[in-house]
Parts: sequence; structure tokens; C-alpha cells
Amino acid sequence: MKKGYNVLKSQKLIKVSLEYDDLNNTIHSIKISGDFFLYPEESIDKLEKNLIGIRLEKNSIKQIIQQCLQNSEIFGFDSESMTEAIFGCLIK
Amino acid sequence: MSFSFKEIRVLETGHNTACWNMALDEVLLNSVNDVPALRIYGWKPTAVSIGYFQRMEEEIDTEKCKQLDIDAVRRITGGGAVMHDSELTYSFITKRYPQNIIESYKWICDALIISINKLGLDTKFSPLNDIVLNGKKISGNAQTRKRGTLLQHGTILLDVDIEKMFSILKIPSEKLRAKGISDAWERVAGLNKTFTEVALALKSGFSEKFGATLIVDKITKEEELAAKKLVEEKYITDKWNLGR
Repeated sequence: MKKGYNVLKSQKLIKVSLEYDDLNNTIHSIKISGDFFLYPEESIDKLEKNLIGIRLEKNSIKQIIQQCLQNSEIFGFDSESMTEAIFGCLIK
Repeated sequence: MSFSFKEIRVLETGHNTACWNMALDEVLLNSVNDVPALRIYGWKPTAVSIGYFQRMEEEIDTEKCKQLDIDAVRRITGGGAVMHDSELTYSFITKRYPQNIIESYKWICDALIISINKLGLDTKFSPLNDIVLNGKKISGNAQTRKRGTLLQHGTILLDVDIEKMFSILKIPSEKLRAKGISDAWERVAGLNKTFTEVALALKSGFSEKFGATLIVDKITKEEELAAKKLVEEKYITDKWNLGR
């Protein structure tokens, strides 16, 4: 198990704490924070929950973000920048 | 689309703790009827609020806050960490509002701009959620929507203590800290007006913007009890404040 942390400046700041299984290349746990706006706010919990167990592969992650937030309104990031913020945890 | 209101309920609730302030805003969000509410308030002691999606330990030096007797609380609205010191804070709660989020911010910020400009200043809306004076931020705003009701609250800076602000807000490194301080001086400003002057202007501006008669009111016993309950059950707890 490995841990990563990344801060990405999109329109607003996105901060990601990631714990991932480097053998299976899957997300074990994830916490997303930042000064963005998301309505309804509880969508973030759904997103974090749905990312658990997902393979660390850009298209898969982006798809989950889009699915989870399809009925939400977002200001400060998009699925592209959120994906980038999550992957930034792996590089560091 | 333009909205007007026949009446606006005005609540001037004084200077209170961070937990009480956030609890009362939530109570008003839950209880507002067809008459929108404009609440005008301040913070005592000085406080820091963090956005709904922020983590306390990432944003604030909580030990420093304790040393300086500064309250810390998490908001129900998104956005960034804010130090509430020399400022006037307002909240506006309404069941009728533009559904588009940018429009709704602009709609309420227009009322703020009309208000502040009555003091002889020339402020402008800076999307998504700021108001600027000569390019410097003098007001930050945040909103949430629950069960068909919109709450927008925000600060109007009267004066800014940048050193104090940066002593409690976490900055990643000394280098960034130095850059941050000089940057903040460039970007943030106070109105250099009194709380009373701004409060009067705000009431006048909201009345003008929405064509409304102001109904000066006090919080009811039920609202007070509900806010006390929310303080105890939510805003004072680590479960909420450290919840992300």
C-alpha cells in the first residue's frame, strides 16, 4: 500500500490524499478537499466512495468523476483537472 | 430574470462566536418562509471559517488560533478559509432566486455593490464570488442551496490585518509565505468604513435592489433554541469541523 498527496491549482485549489494498492494499481482510499464549489455538496462523498477499488487508469477515473457529478454543478475544477489532481499523487 | 420582493426580514444579530454564527445561518436556511431574510452580523472573538470541502489541518494553524483566542469553524458553504476580524458579515436567505449559479451570485452581489457604492466607493463584481474595489478584493461570498432555498453569506472587509491573517492560515513554506503576504497586500483591502455605516448602506441597498420594504425583526425564541441545539450537536463538534 502506498500513500500520496497532491495539490493542484485549477480554477480553485484541489487537494487529494490518496492511499493506493500499487500491486493491483487500485485506489484503496481517497479524500478530496479544496476551496471549490460543488452543489449539492454531498456529491463529494459519493465521488470518494465510488473511486474506491477503481483502477488507477486515467479514463476509468475520469469516467467515475463524470458519472458521480453528472447531476451536480461544479465551480473550480472539471473532470480533467480532478483526474490530474488524483494522478499527481502517484508521481510524488 | 429579475426578482423583486415585497418585504425583506432584517436581522441584526450582533457579534457572536463562530459556532453561533454558522448555526444561526443554518437555522434561517431551514426556516425561512416566502419573505427572504437579510442577516447582518459580526464575529467575537475573531474567527476563521473554512469551506465545506476544506480540511481544518490543511488550512489553519489550530494551535495558533487557540493561543490567540481565535474561533475556528467549518461552513456549510464551499470556498476558501476566511479570517473574520474587522468586517461585516451578511447572509441572505431566499426561496426565490435565479437557478443559474453565476447569475445568482451576481444577483445578490449586485445588492452588495449598490450598498457599498452608496458610501462613495466604486466596487465591481468579480466572478464567481468576489467584489473588488480598485482591483482589490473587499468581499468574498459563498452559497449553498438546500431543499429549494438559497443561502448566500459573505464578508465585507472593513480593515485587513494581513500579518494576523497569515499567522493563522497555513502557508506551505516560508518562501510562499513571503510571496503570499506581499501578494495579499496587493489583492485584499478593507473599506475603511465603520460597521454601522456599512450596515446602514446594506439595508438601503438591499431594499433598493429588490424593491422591498424592510421588516426589522429579531430572531424568535424557536430560532434561538434551534441555533443553540445546532451549536451543541454540530458546529462545536470535531465530527463536523474535522469532518473532511
